[in-house]
Amino acid sequence: MSPAPRGAIPPEIHELAGEYVLGTLPAAARREVEARLENEAALRAAVLAWEERLLPLAGLAEPLSPSPRLWQRIERSLNARPRAITPRGSAWWRGWSSLRLWRSLAAGGFATAAILAAVLTGRLIDPPPATRFMVVLVAPDDRAPGWVVQASSPQRVELIPLATVEVPADKTLQFWTKADDWKGPVSLGLVTPGRSLSVPLDALPALQPNQLFELTLEPRGGSPIGKPTGPVRFIGRAVKVM
Amino acid sequence: MPTSPVDFDYEAALLACAAGEPAALQQLYEQEGARLLGVVMRIVRDRALAEDIVHDACVSIWTRAASFNPALGSARGWIYSVTRNLALNAVRDASREITVDDDTATVLDARASLEAWQDMADAFAWQASAGRIGTCLERLEPVRRNCILHAYVDGLSHSEIARRLEAPLGTVKAWIKRSLAALRECLS
Repeated sequence: MSPAPRGAIPPEIHELAGEYVLGTLPAAARREVEARLENEAALRAAVLAWEERLLPLAGLAEPLSPSPRLWQRIERSLNARPRAITPRGSAWWRGWSSLRLWRSLAAGGFATAAILAAVLTGRLIDPPPATRFMVVLVAPDDRAPGWVVQASSPQRVELIPLATVEVPADKTLQFWTKADDWKGPVSLGLVTPGRSLSVPLDALPALQPNQLFELTLEPRGGSPIGKPTGPVRFIGRAVKVM
Repeated sequence: MPTSPVDFDYEAALLACAAGEPAALQQLYEQEGARLLGVVMRIVRDRALAEDIVHDACVSIWTRAASFNPALGSARGWIYSVTRNLALNAVRDASREITVDDDTATVLDARASLEAWQDMADAFAWQASAGRIGTCLERLEPVRRNCILHAYVDGLSHSEIARRLEAPLGTVKAWIKRSLAALRECLS
């Protein structure tokens, strides 16, 4: 795959990309562009740029309310296809700043944790009857589950390792939580890989559904500023356990 | 009720789709479904086909959400591209387009009609389009603006635009080519 430095895209590529996005290319030429997009970074960049440029024009089409049946059809189609928890393609959110990740997850919800929590409660862990919340912390890049957080009461959580984790000698894992309406994450302490940790939440509001938990990689001794500074290693949301 | 595109977090919705959360796709559909159907309907001009395409687009958004890369473009742009491409492929594949030789087409007298084209009225309320593209469209002559908008909004091919504007095919192609170049320069 050839790199496409900005400004180095030849005019004819911009032209072809423009006609493609505009929609004026005949069927055969459209197919040809689509085939070339796989391997030509310059064409791909030019197409993306045109898509962004022309997107406001989509607003010129009057919205049209879909029939109620349409969503039902879509839902049936989703249910009909097996869904892998591990996504295909590249781990595009690797390298995101922690803040961006927080923001997106806080807004979007995080179903993997819910699905895994359901699986785990059914298969791996027999929760005590008092357990109200559970969080599965997964690696952001491959969504591999690494830890489970169980809350046997709203005022105490247990962090339980599911897998071995490598941490560089000069680093440490730090445990954080944040509810939707909090300004920022709060530290729940430092974590030793492979070891459970029991954390009282006395100083914090009671656990909420969707509350976010994460483990970040911090300098030895923990984050010097009381907020996550390193990459997110594991992340998940609290789900209510029936 | 859909919220304003400014307030809806499309990226978070795609992220949640990638994580396998059907509720995220439903939110996206409630937010954008009517607008997407409107866009597709203008292109395919058939209600049942338009709904089929929005269905396919939603399934495609769901299965391909993990491949969306926010470093390369906006989430909303990605959603529209997936949908528009399905619509455009549907009309292009179905068309039995007669390719008119460019030279033959240009032999038709363009000159006489040119004045009429310069007086041509706008076929779109393009002033309503958001952002800088409105300013850049304003700099194009109305007839060239109409070419761009008939192509993007109505999904018309070169020859369909030529018929609509009663202009030679070669002229329409040249207008579009130059208008795209002008838009790119204006928006850069």
